[in-house]
Amino acid sequence: MRIAVAFFLALAGFAATTVTEQQLRDAQTDPATWLTYGKNYAGWRYSELGEINTSNVSRLAPRWIYQTGQSGSHETTPLVFGGMMLVTGPSNHADALDLLTGKQIWHYHKAPPSGLGLCCGEPNRGFAALGEKLFKVNIEATLVALDARSGSVLWEKPIDDYKKGFTATGAPIIVKNRVVVGMAGAEFGTRGFIDAYDASTGERAWRFYTVAAKGEPGGDTWDGDSWQRGGGSTWITGTYDPELNLIYWGTGNPGPGMDGSVRGGDNLYTCSLVAIDADTGKLKWYFQFTPHDTHDWDAVADPVLLDMTVKGEKVKAVVQADRNGYFYALNRTNGKLLAAAPYTKITWSTGIDAKGRPQLVPGMDPSEEGTKVCPSLGGGHNWSATAYSPQTKLYYFGSTDRCHLFYLHKQEYRTGQWYQASTEAEIPNEPGAGAVVAVDPATGETRWRFEMVSPTSAGMLATAGGLVFTGDGHGYVVALDARTGKPLWHFQTGGNIIAPPITYSLNGKQQIAIAAGTSIITFALVN
Amino acid sequence: MNLRVAFLVACGAAYAQTTDNPLAHEPQVVTAGYSVFRIYCSPCHGIHAQGGRGPDLTRGIYHSGEKDSDLFRTISDGLSATEMVGFGLDMSDTDIWRIVAYIRSVANHEAPAVPGNRADGEKLFRANGGCGACHVVRGRGGRMGPELTRIGRQRSLEYLRDAVLDPNKEILPGWTAITVTRLDGTKLTGVERGLDNFSVQFMDMEGNYYSFFRADVASIKREDRSLMPADYGQRLKAAEIDDLVAYLVSLRGTETLH
Repeated sequence: MRIAVAFFLALAGFAATTVTEQQLRDAQTDPATWLTYGKNYAGWRYSELGEINTSNVSRLAPRWIYQTGQSGSHETTPLVFGGMMLVTGPSNHADALDLLTGKQIWHYHKAPPSGLGLCCGEPNRGFAALGEKLFKVNIEATLVALDARSGSVLWEKPIDDYKKGFTATGAPIIVKNRVVVGMAGAEFGTRGFIDAYDASTGERAWRFYTVAAKGEPGGDTWDGDSWQRGGGSTWITGTYDPELNLIYWGTGNPGPGMDGSVRGGDNLYTCSLVAIDADTGKLKWYFQFTPHDTHDWDAVADPVLLDMTVKGEKVKAVVQADRNGYFYALNRTNGKLLAAAPYTKITWSTGIDAKGRPQLVPGMDPSEEGTKVCPSLGGGHNWSATAYSPQTKLYYFGSTDRCHLFYLHKQEYRTGQWYQASTEAEIPNEPGAGAVVAVDPATGETRWRFEMVSPTSAGMLATAGGLVFTGDGHGYVVALDARTGKPLWHFQTGGNIIAPPITYSLNGKQQIAIAAGTSIITFALVN
Repeated sequence: MNLRVAFLVACGAAYAQTTDNPLAHEPQVVTAGYSVFRIYCSPCHGIHAQGGRGPDLTRGIYHSGEKDSDLFRTISDGLSATEMVGFGLDMSDTDIWRIVAYIRSVANHEAPAVPGNRADGEKLFRANGGCGACHVVRGRGGRMGPELTRIGRQRSLEYLRDAVLDPNKEILPGWTAITVTRLDGTKLTGVERGLDNFSVQFMDMEGNYYSFFRADVASIKREDRSLMPADYGQRLKAAEIDDLVAYLVSLRGTETLH
């Protein structure tokens, strides 16, 4: 839909409640809406809206607050179209909200079963939309399709068996007529995968296992039958290049997370970025950031797709700020390393070689007495959403700057039970801090840092107004100058922020929305 | 109340009618419970449940109730007005029961010997030690340090001894020293009451409360040190330290352990 038409329909108090595949491909050209997890298929989380900018952001003020009434982590990326904001909440709750007033239009809930294998609560990170349907995962590893106008359940399909430790938390993405989803549960001895389901029927079209089985390419990177419990969760949404017809998805830690002795080898394709054919689910290439990881450094962070100039050559790139402390830029046609650079304190490695393999410091594995390693278990940048601004040509993400003591704890595998073989501990009087980091994606060079008192799990949003929006663990929504990192505005929401902001327009006025605490809050300029 | 919480409360109500752990006789339940304990509980209760920042669980004394169902409820819901948070949304009921089984398995019901004289320790606390100038016990004392009315329940003996001798060994969030330099160059120092990316709150030695936006001051410095004197090891004799620790161990809220 053209911007002008969308604008007219919005003015008329009417907006279409359908999303087409073409709209998803063109999502970057329609700043009035937010149609998919990463704003566009490339995962930029960048909006062309510039009404709110560096000179007037100080006049940003709340417009409405919707209190979800649900406890638990609110990590949703809201979708906005058809006059509605569509938000998922923890523990299988979801809402459609009136965009003008924030009033609830419908509510969805399905009580989670007992006996779930949970590492980190029951969060959910958002809907996907196609046609008149919305798609979300439920925590017990199902995929559900809802009618966007009523919230009615159209179908629900099991992704896998929650009794074996599988759960699901990430937002799906739509690729053509399919819904692509990941799973969670690497801490429970599961074997990870990425699935694609027919959007109309819910039938599974393909599955790509992120852990290579014995006899398959990469299967020799696992000792014995350890691949069967190999982890490699896919709990954060990937990206899609329609031209190359490739889906890019980050994979999580191997299982058991910190006892590497029972799974000798590189453990492909854990802690990796995989590029898979969108039609068949077949692997095109992979890049493993942390071979044989023993520190829980999932490589699930957003794989963001950029076309940029590296050493004088134009290249189709994919970038990721990895949990292991390094920022990476890869050629997204073949997975070759373009650049790698640390963005936080790293003690486990002295660098990355030309092929992309980390050069290891000995003695950094978890131990009975505890091994101090930086970054911490949550890594430098973990899962929170990142942003790329084509205006500044900078890549923005949150970093945790902290070390941990990693303890080894031998463990027998039992179906559906916690299987991490480890624990970690804070180092007394080294509480760790956080930062918003702006990196030149062509080199990995850090351009600026906005230092934070404590680690942040809030996501990023970049806008044509020269701004980066984010939040923090103390309840502030924050606007930074995208070029310098200077804080220009903040607002205390009263709730911990562990979600990314989004932006859209309503009746021609730019709005910002974010989940904070147990609320959804929107902001616009006031005179 | 959301449905999940309602569900947990309902579960709690059902469990309250049973005193036995439904998994108590499951093979390997203690080992499985220890695995979960190591992840969620050991940061405060120690890697062998011997206590630390949190209570020693090997004594088999549970102040929130003696039944298995009481332990389940405490782990699931937490204990209000304490540092014990609830884990009901982070772990399954099954895992909570496994932890209960592990906690039961390590309870040896033997209280560690507490050297020292509690009554002498109390005198020291109020007089020569000067502790009461900064710490409240049952409504009496200063405000600069944490209240200690229940500290004998909350911390292990060894933790309390360490805290007296080396207050900088572990400074809990919210008790670091803050120094603010104002725009006119004057400095204010006190105990942190809040510090975030845009503001600071603290209380000075006279009990005056301050709050500033970062933009309105020249600098804010958080120091990794406690304002508590670090020289009690030199100022007090070993026997006096024992007395003081004995007094701290005895502080259990409204009741006193003799």
